[in-house]
This record gives sequence, structure tokens and C-alpha cells, in this order.
Amino acid sequence: MGKIIVMTSGKGGVGKTTSSAAFATGLALRGFKTVVIDFDVGLRNLDLVMGCERRVVFDFINVINGEAKLSQALIKDKRIENLYILPTSQTRDKDALTKEGVEKVLNELTKEFDYVLCDSPAGIERGALMSLYFADHAIIVTNPEVSSVRDSDRILGVLNSRSRRAEQGLEPVTQQLLLTRYDPERVERGEMLKVDDVLEILAIPLLGVIPESQAVLRASNVGMPVILDEASNAGQAYTDSVSRFLGEDVEHRFVTPQKKGLFSRLLRRTA
Amino acid sequence: MSIFNFFRAAARPSAVQAKERLQIVMAHERAGRTGPDYLPMLQQELLSVIAKYIDIDQNKVEVKLDRGGDCSTLELNIELPSRDAVKAPKDPGKPAAKPGDAKPVGGSANGKAGDKDDEDEDDSSEPVKLAAGGNALTNGGIKKRR
Repeated sequence: MGKIIVMTSGKGGVGKTTSSAAFATGLALRGFKTVVIDFDVGLRNLDLVMGCERRVVFDFINVINGEAKLSQALIKDKRIENLYILPTSQTRDKDALTKEGVEKVLNELTKEFDYVLCDSPAGIERGALMSLYFADHAIIVTNPEVSSVRDSDRILGVLNSRSRRAEQGLEPVTQQLLLTRYDPERVERGEMLKVDDVLEILAIPLLGVIPESQAVLRASNVGMPVILDEASNAGQAYTDSVSRFLGEDVEHRFVTPQKKGLFSRLLRRTA
Repeated sequence: MSIFNFFRAAARPSAVQAKERLQIVMAHERAGRTGPDYLPMLQQELLSVIAKYIDIDQNKVEVKLDRGGDCSTLELNIELPSRDAVKAPKDPGKPAAKPGDAKPVGGSANGKAGDKDDEDEDDSSEPVKLAAGGNALTNGGIKKRR
């Protein structure tokens, strides 16, 4: 029986889809059969980030409505074995996500996959609630910035009160923090919240810190999950995070400013 | 870098302020999240009790909740109609309330009520803060300790 993970944040634009794509790819690279589902009905983007936008025929909503079989809607990744994408509808609205429908699809997926990763939309409306309702694990994507931290706290409250596990009095959804767009140099200058500050406020375990990196935009430009850019800091940080998710003890990297040589300082090169 | 910037560098870093602001706002939000949200119901029931005895205008009710450090205050300001407005003046030609007629309703006969007799009153109703003057409903009469 596979595990359901939700990638959520409350606030938009913090890197949920980027992280979902990277994480799903990372899990598949480790040999786990993984599917990543886009829950952002009407604002589909996971397909673009994963680079499979031209292969979408049927979607999640078609499957919920019985208009297509699950096997018809699942897109197999061309690069990575064991990795599948379930895109969402670009035309329907989020009312198409019914609890029964989502449950049916997730039940079918957990039979076949080791991990089902749900990419949540922003907000705490239906789409977001449906994406987290059935979750076993939650990864809270947060930027070191006041509005993102506050919204993350809000979504943690929702997870603790309105998820299936909370409603049925089961073991609570495990929660881990993924701090993205972290800029150690700005932190050192006192311009950005420190990792420890965010951890103190949100009080959940740290899964990983993803440094601010130009590689993220480069990767999404070409439809490649950034974890596949093994030379980049962000890619390596995601790989470490996946290892930690799987229970390995990996030291955190990229949380302090990198020492720059005289040459690069003169040239003012970044990342 | 000017000399002003040199001194400004000694000011508190913005990240420290961010942390402090977050801690304060989230302490309040978390407190509000736990426990049943009884406030709207409490407000409604309080108002219905008052409405049983006094004809109040629902639009002239102000309900305020202040969350303080160790205690919270529920403040109710209800504007009561003057006696004339309640009885509906027989002669519409007359001013709605003569000086001296406008008396606070609800037994809030404190010292100030007498003083007001000399003032020129044009309003048909006189705002009475139930909270004022140590009456039945006092300011902060309902306190919630955390």
C-alpha cells in the first residue's frame, strides 16, 4: 500500500510545483514507483514543469468523472523509470474535485505506486483541502518571508483539524518543513529570516533547505525537474531532502554563505 | 556609504523585526484557532437578552474583542433609543427631543445624566454606552483568561 504525500504551503508562488516535480523525480530515481498529481484544477502547470505538456490527453478530472480510465490519463515520464504524472484539467473548475472521486482515484493509485505525491494549489479552498485530506505525510513549502510563514502555520492548523487522519482520530499527518528560496548571504546581513527562526515559529522538523538558485528557472524553462540538474545547488539540496525523507541522516548544505575567492568577488558572479 | 548609513547599520536588522512580528501575530491566531469559536454565538445571545427588555437597533451595536497579553476583553457598545423615540412622539411638529427629556434608558442614572439636561439635544436618541458608569454591563465585564 503506497503512501500519500501532499506538497502544500497555503501561499502561492513559494515553489510547491517545483518541489513536487523535484521530489517525485527524486523518489523515482531512488527506485520507488511514484506518481505526482496536479490538484490545481483550472491552473494546470505541473505538466509544464515536468515537460510533458504536449502529451496530456486525459486528466485527473476525466478519471474522477469516469470519462477515462486511470491508465489512459497517467503519463509515463520519458527520462525516469518508475515516474508518472497525472495532470489536471485546464478547463473545469475546482468543484469537479469531489471527496469520493478523489478517494477512488487515490485508492487505485496507492495499490500500484509506492508514493502518490499531491501537488496542492495555493489557498485553503476546495482544491487545497482535497489535496491534503487523504495525506499520510505533508511537506510544507515555505519561503523565509513573513506572509509565507504565516500561511504555512495556517495550513498546519488545517492539516491538524480537517484532514482525514484528524477527522477519524487516526495518527496525525506527519509534517516536515521544506524551506525554499533561502539566501544565506541575505540571512547573514540580517535581511532574511534564518532557518532556525522559521523552525522556532512553525515548530515542525526540517526536511531541507533549498537555496535561491538560478537553476530553478533554467530547469522550468526547459521542462526538466531541477533535481536532474545535478551540478546545481538547488538540485543537490532536493536530492538531500529526498534522502532525509527516506529516513537517512544527511547534513544540511547551502545554509551558510559560500566563501568566494578574490577572482569571483571581483567579477561579482552569482550562483 | 555616507555617515548616515554607517549609523543606520547599528539599527535592528529587518529579519529580527520579521521574527518578532510573526511571533506576536501567530500567537494570537493560534489562540483563536484552539477551542470552540463561541464569540459570535455569545454576542448573539447577549444581544437577544438585551433586546427582550429594551428596543435596540441592531445596527447601532458595536462589538469589539481585544486580545491582550494575559486576558482578553469583550466590549459591547449598544446605543439605546431615548424614551421619546421609544414612545414615538405624538406631535411630529415638535422637536423629537426637548432639552431635559433625553434621559438615558436602562437605569444608567449617573451624575452625567443630570448634567446633560442643560445641553441642546437635537438627536432623537442618545447614545448610551452600557459600558460607562459602572452599570450592569461594564466595560470588560466579560473577560477570558488564557
